[in-house]
Order: sequence, then C-alpha cells, then structure tokens
Amino acid sequence: MSKGLLRRVIRGGLLLVVVLFFLFPMFWVLLMSFQTNQDILRTPPSLTFTPTISNYVALISGEIQTSVGTLPVYYMKNLWNSAFLSACAVAMSLVLGVPAAYAFARFKFRLGEDIAFTLLSFRFAPPILVLLPLQLYFQDIGLYDTYLGLVWVYQLITLPLILWIVRGYFEDISPDIEHAYRLDGHSWFRSMWKIAIPLARPGIAAAGLLAFIFAWNSFIFALVLGSSDVQPVTVGSLAFMTASGIQYGTIAASLVLSVIPTLVLALYTQRYLVEGLSLGAVKG
Amino acid sequence: MAYLEVRGVAKSFGKKKLLDGLSLEVEQGECVVVFGPSGCGKTVLLRIIAGVLEPDRGEVWIGGKSVMNVGPEARGVAMAFQNFALYPHMDAFENIASPLRARSRPEEEIKQRVHEIAGLLRIDHVLDHLPKQLSNGQKQRTSLARSLVHGPSVLMLDDPLRNVDAKIRYEMRLELPRVFRKFHSTVLYVTQDYKEALALGDRIGVLMDGHFEQVDTPAAIYGSPRNRRVASLFGDPPINLFPIRPERGGDGAVHAQIGGQRVALGPRAAELAGRDCVLGVRPEDVAFGFDQAEGGIPVELAAVTPFNVRTVTLLKAPDATEILASRPEDNSLAAARGHRKGWARIDLDRALFFDAASGARL
Amino acid sequence: MADVEIAMSAGAKRRGISFQRALPYLLSLPALLVCIGILIPFVTAIIYSLQRYNLAFPDSRAFIWFGNFVSLAKDPAFWHTVVVSLEYTALTVGVELLLGLGIALLLEKRNWVNDAISVLLILPLMVAPAIAALMWKLMTNPNFGVLSYLVSLAGVQDFKWGSSPDSAMFTVVLVDTWVYTPFITILLLAGLRALPKQPFEAAELDGVPRTFVFFRITLPMLTPYILTASLFRMLDSMQQFDIIYSMTQGGPGDTLTVFQVQAYLEAFSFSNIGRSAALVIVLWAITYALSTVFIKNWLKLRARAHGAT
Repeated sequence: MSKGLLRRVIRGGLLLVVVLFFLFPMFWVLLMSFQTNQDILRTPPSLTFTPTISNYVALISGEIQTSVGTLPVYYMKNLWNSAFLSACAVAMSLVLGVPAAYAFARFKFRLGEDIAFTLLSFRFAPPILVLLPLQLYFQDIGLYDTYLGLVWVYQLITLPLILWIVRGYFEDISPDIEHAYRLDGHSWFRSMWKIAIPLARPGIAAAGLLAFIFAWNSFIFALVLGSSDVQPVTVGSLAFMTASGIQYGTIAASLVLSVIPTLVLALYTQRYLVEGLSLGAVKG
Repeated sequence: MAYLEVRGVAKSFGKKKLLDGLSLEVEQGECVVVFGPSGCGKTVLLRIIAGVLEPDRGEVWIGGKSVMNVGPEARGVAMAFQNFALYPHMDAFENIASPLRARSRPEEEIKQRVHEIAGLLRIDHVLDHLPKQLSNGQKQRTSLARSLVHGPSVLMLDDPLRNVDAKIRYEMRLELPRVFRKFHSTVLYVTQDYKEALALGDRIGVLMDGHFEQVDTPAAIYGSPRNRRVASLFGDPPINLFPIRPERGGDGAVHAQIGGQRVALGPRAAELAGRDCVLGVRPEDVAFGFDQAEGGIPVELAAVTPFNVRTVTLLKAPDATEILASRPEDNSLAAARGHRKGWARIDLDRALFFDAASGARL
Repeated sequence: MADVEIAMSAGAKRRGISFQRALPYLLSLPALLVCIGILIPFVTAIIYSLQRYNLAFPDSRAFIWFGNFVSLAKDPAFWHTVVVSLEYTALTVGVELLLGLGIALLLEKRNWVNDAISVLLILPLMVAPAIAALMWKLMTNPNFGVLSYLVSLAGVQDFKWGSSPDSAMFTVVLVDTWVYTPFITILLLAGLRALPKQPFEAAELDGVPRTFVFFRITLPMLTPYILTASLFRMLDSMQQFDIIYSMTQGGPGDTLTVFQVQAYLEAFSFSNIGRSAALVIVLWAITYALSTVFIKNWLKLRARAHGAT
C-alpha cells in the first residue's frame, strides 16, 4: 500500500472512531427510548427489536403505567418551563443588552468598559457564589421557585453573551453610516433602531439563539433557586430518573426530548458557535 | 456676518493636537475648498461643523446663530462622505429619500424630488439598486443626491471624488459647480488634490498644522502664496526652490548665485540684499534652450518626461542644483535625451521670494 | 434655506449636547442595574463567609472573621476537595486538549466529509452537561447499560463506573470529555483555518519535514487559541457541578467532592451557610486569579479576531 493511501486509511479509521465515540451515546439513548422495558433489560443488548412509542406517549400524556398502577408524570411541564424560562431570559437580555452594547460600541466611556468587563467576569465566576445568598433572599421576598426570580438570575448566563457578541457586530458597522443618517435629520434613537440594529441583525439573532441554548442547558441555577413549580428539564430529568425507578425507556425518552430543541437550534447557529462560546474572543 | 463661521475651533486626540484655534468664514452661496495634505484634520473639521464630533474649544455658527448645543440632525447641514456611507440595506431611492423622510414630507413630494435630483445626476435608472449593486461613480452620485435633495443650507463634501475613477472625476469636476449654482448652496469642499481645489473653489483654505495658512482665491493662492509651504503644495511639477543670498553688485543691481551662475535678480529684489532668501520659480517660468541666452544658467539636460500636454525637463547645473522646467508639448526635446548641454533662463518677473528662516513671502 | 431655524425652533434645542453626553449612560443603565443586582449577593456571600452561620443553629450566628477559613485550612476534607478539583481539572483539560487538537488536525482540510463531521461533533457540546451525565448513567448501568456489556465482552466483569471510588473519577472525566472536547476542537479548527498560508507554503517548497512544520510553525502560531481554549476549560472544570452532581452527587462517599459540589452539600445538606460561603470564596479567589490573566488580554484577543476576518 502506498504511503499516501495508508495515511488516508489511518486518518479515515481514526475519524470513524471519533465520530462513533461522540455520536454513539445519543444514538443509543434514542434507541432506548423506543424500547419497552423488557427489551432494555434483555442481555445482551441487541439492535433488533420492535419499536414502541409508548414511552413518548406516557410522557406527553402525563401518565406512566407501572406494575403498581399509573404514575403521574409532569415532564411536559418541565419542558415548558425550560422553554419559557430560556425565552424570557433571552428576551430580557436582548432588551437590556442590545442598547447597552450599542452604547459600548459607539461611545467610549469608562463606566461602559467597567460594566462590560464586570459582566464578562460573571461568566467565569462560580454561580453558587451568588446563588447561595440569593436562595435565602428569595425565600424572604417570595421569589423562590418563581419564573421571575429565575429569569432574573439567568441574566448571569445570557447577558454577558449577548452584550459581548452584539457589541462586536455594532462595532463592525462603519460609524459614518450612522453619522450620515443623523445628518439626514434623524434622531439617535432612529439611527439605532433603523440602521444599527437591522445591520447587526444576524449577530443579534445568533447571540439570542446561543443564549437560549446556554440558558436551557443550565442546571445549578434552577436546582438552587427553584423547586417543582419552575423546574426545567435539566433538574427535572434527574428527579425523574430517581423517582420513576425502573422506567428506563421512559427515562431515555425524556432525555431525548430534553435535548432535541438545543440540537436543532445548534444546527441553525453553527456558524456563530465559536464566537458565541468564546464570547467574541475568537471568530469562527 | 458670514453664513457659516468657524471660530477658534481646537481638537486634540490624546497628545496629538490636530486642530489648533481654527477660524473660517464662508459667505452664503460661496464654495470654499478646504485643502491640505492627508491627515491634517480636514475631515475632523467637517465632522465638528456637522455636529458628530465635539471640539475641545471654539464654536460653529450657522445663519447667525451658534449651533454648539444643536445636534447633527438639527443643524441643517448635509455631508457627502468620502466612502459614500450609503445605507447598505436600502435601495438608492430610499437612500436619497432619507432626509425627506426625516422631515416627514408627503410621499408624493418625496417621489418627485428624488426623481428630480436623480435625473440631474443621471442615476435615475438605478434607483431600485442596492448600494452593493452600484458602481463607485453611481455610489458617489447617490451620496451627493442624498445630501442635496432637501436643499441644505450648508453642504459639505469630504473628498467625494477620491474613490472614483479618473474619467468620472473629470466629469464631476465640471458638473459639480453647475449643481452647486443650481441649488445656491453654501459649500465646503474638502480635497487633497490641488487641481480640484483650483478648479472648484471660489476661495481655497489651505489647512496645515491645525490652522489655515492662507484663505484666498485660487489665483491669489497660486500667484501670491503666503509662504513657501503653500507655494509647494500647488503646482505640478512642484515649484523650484533655490536658497540664495542676494548681494548688491558694483552696478547697483542685485545679484545672486543660482546654480553656480551669477544672475541678476531684477528690480523686485531691490530690498533683499544681504538677506538669506529662498527663490521660488515655477517650472513653467523656466525656459530651456540650446542657445546661450542672456542671464541664462548653463545646465545639462538630465531627463525629459513628455506628459500629455506638457514636457517636463530635469536640468542639472554644474554645482549639482536641479531645476525643473516645463513647457508646452515639445517632442523635439525627446530626441535630445542624453545629457546635452543647454541654458536655463528664469523669468524673474514671475519669481517669488521667501524669507529663508520663516518661509514667509517677501 | 431656513432649515436651521425650523429645526431649532421645533424644540430640537432641548435635545442638546447635554442629552448627547448623558445618552451612553442612560442606555447602559439597565445593564448597570443588573451588575449591581449581582454584586449585592456577592457581598452577602463574603459576609456569610466571615460568620459562623448554620441554619440549624440560628442563634449561634455571629461574626468569626477568618474562623471559617482557618477551620477549612485545618480540615483534611477541604484539602481533599482541593486535590479532587485539581485532579479533575488536570485530567479533563489535559485529555480534551490532546484529543481536541488531534481531531482538529484530522479535520483541517475543507471537504464535505470533514465539514459534515464538524457539524456532527457540535452536538455533544450542545447537550446539557447534566443531561449528558444522565445519558452516560443509563449507558453505564450495571444491569442493562450497553457500555457495561461491551466492557464485559473485553473481559472486565462488573465494572462499577460511577459507583466505585476507584472508577468514579474516570467515569466523570469520560463524560466531561464527551461533552467538551468538541469545544476545543472547533476553537482550534477556527484557529487552524485562520493561520496565514505563506509560512506553510514556504516550508513545503523548502521540503521541510511535516513533524518540524507541526512543532515549530503550526503549534507556536496556534498558541493564542490553545491558551484561550485551555483557560476557558480550566475555569469551567475547577467549578464543575452539573456533571458530577447529576452522576453521583459527589459520591461515592466523598470521592468526587469538587468545590462547587462540596459547597452545595455544605449549604443544603448540612445547612452550614458560613462554611459553604467560605469554600466558595476560596474557589472564587482561584478562578478570579486565573480569569484576570485572561481578561487583561481580552481586548487584544478580540482585536485580533476582528482584524483577522
């Protein structure tokens, strides 16, 4: 075999192993979600079985049939909570962050740099540092286990991301374009609204979607500051796993449903992923 | 009182002092060219007048009122940017219509006025194009149309022809004055090209070192430059400058050594005896010939460059002084390449004298 | 034209220069409020760390200043936490860096296969770490987990994965690697693609051997990206909570009690608020030191990224 061909074969082989490693778990859990408990518990595990959608039906309908009767399941509420909390957090961050990003991009002022870097440091600080005192505060002022309380705290995740990415996109717009618009006679607000934001729209959309993904994937925030009312899928799945004991197929189905939204969004935003993950430090 | 006044404007960036106590008066309907080398602060001055940049000191007055507390959208000033600054997500029509929309003009009026100005500037066939679909010339004219469409009181043009092809540049140099006159605009025109400045301006303001060295009509700038720096900026090829020390000779006339030859300087140099001066002679005032002429300087023909309408010769005097001479197109000289000896005669009536130390014209 | 007069009389005078000056502050006011809103609990946490504060004994709450920290320093359990955290960080960052770099090099050339694989590799990164841990928990279940089965085929019977102190660290590092290696890969891939072509073309023309090119040209030029990726991962691994808590809640026993997990247990299982806060403050100090290095060069990194595109 020629050296070039050998190299290609080895490279192909390595890539195959890599792809298998990273995709297998998701594939396997997906498989499990279509299996009855019987199929799951059978050893050796086999790839041939008659698929069933009873696990998904159970989750969606809110009831699992077990050997000791029906078990109520609130998984759909968890899904809704995840979606609602993430969407609200992103919406709040956009409202708070886009004007601020505009200010930081267009005006150079000391306070702006301080705020921007303080928000950046939030990304690197241990969440439990603020979650612990907040838990005690929230209990006192009644924000514990509420949507408002969590959406507020989610800003720790979503605001730095949106601020730093959108800032970059505003900075990329030539200031002369906005100067020209002002000289035409439009106010600063119209300039931001009709020129800057439309031109930065791809970046704003990407930042929003990425922030949604990170908010969805968060765990410790809802664990500490929430309870059954506002539980998102991340916390809910753990509870579900412990509670439903032997309903492995249903557990697998719940895991699948938990990740589908973020995986779909990720495919939409893959162009901006490197930038989002590094908060704008590296451009993909 | 002038229509547009800049009073004592200063602006520094960090340690760099860009504009230093600058003042200018522009009459209504006048076109003043702001001319200067790159980086001298011309664009900064325009931005300060427009209101998108705040000066460290000084004021801008328009129409007899200070506009220092007025935002850019309310100053009644329009600006056409060097890199066009068109709105990328709007078509040419919307770009031009923008100032009218800001003033909430009715739709019918907007349509009429946009088409009118687009027709005048010959871009009405591309009004539905996005900026990225326009050629540079079309972008420049769209930018110009946008700044003209609402009939601004002050129109500022920041080197609008810089990024445009040479052919279109010549066209626009003829067209722009026509457009200005039609709108009776007060115009401030920035350029680095001295020919443009001489062609377009009613007056030219030469901006150097943060202030105006000279503000005068083109003829005065060219013929009576205030100092040697201004003289050097205008003219292509640039003015010849010879350091001289005029001395009164035995016959009472003043002489100086130019290119190693003692040349009579004529009656205009009468008071300059004993002073260190610099003699400025424009190449078109130097005549070169192969026959000895009175008062001529022996030179060697070092290089001949025939341009389209002129021929420029580089002459070398025995003491290594270089003299540039230009004359109307002359192909006979091309055959003479190769260090032939000849004589250069300076037309001293048109020569300029500058003080050696300060550079000021005497 | 009376533009100026019209505009100025229409009240545009109100919106003068002073409003322009205040504008940036007004626009960033909400963001500032968020910052302050976060700093308040932060200060509270510091206060807690200086107190003896246990929810089970509310009457004994008092300021003991550095008492918590001293008691931590004297407690072998604290040092165990430090060791476990450092071990976790070292293992995850080390493995992920090597693996991530290797994969990035494999995918460097742009063709449809590599591009498709790059997209597929993003998926584990987008799975919530807590969910990823549960996925692996299912796969490593001793009764029906496919991995337990496969491993038994290789002759290892009854591998305990997360339930044994010997293999728990291995298991969580494995999950972490699964989730976060793609992060390093896509970052380094972006870096590789942003490198200038000339040095490589010149080396090829000169016939320089490929290992030399890699170690003396590629790696040095990739350094800023490697550092960025490593710092991100180090900071995240030191504070890892989701994966470990979902997998074993810090167990078995105290095998995986990294900083945030231990702090959580202190606060919510033992209700020892003061001690938990002190623990977090120590963690924060460590991450602050690490991130300061990072943040100082942040603007430079951004400028480079913006200039390169």
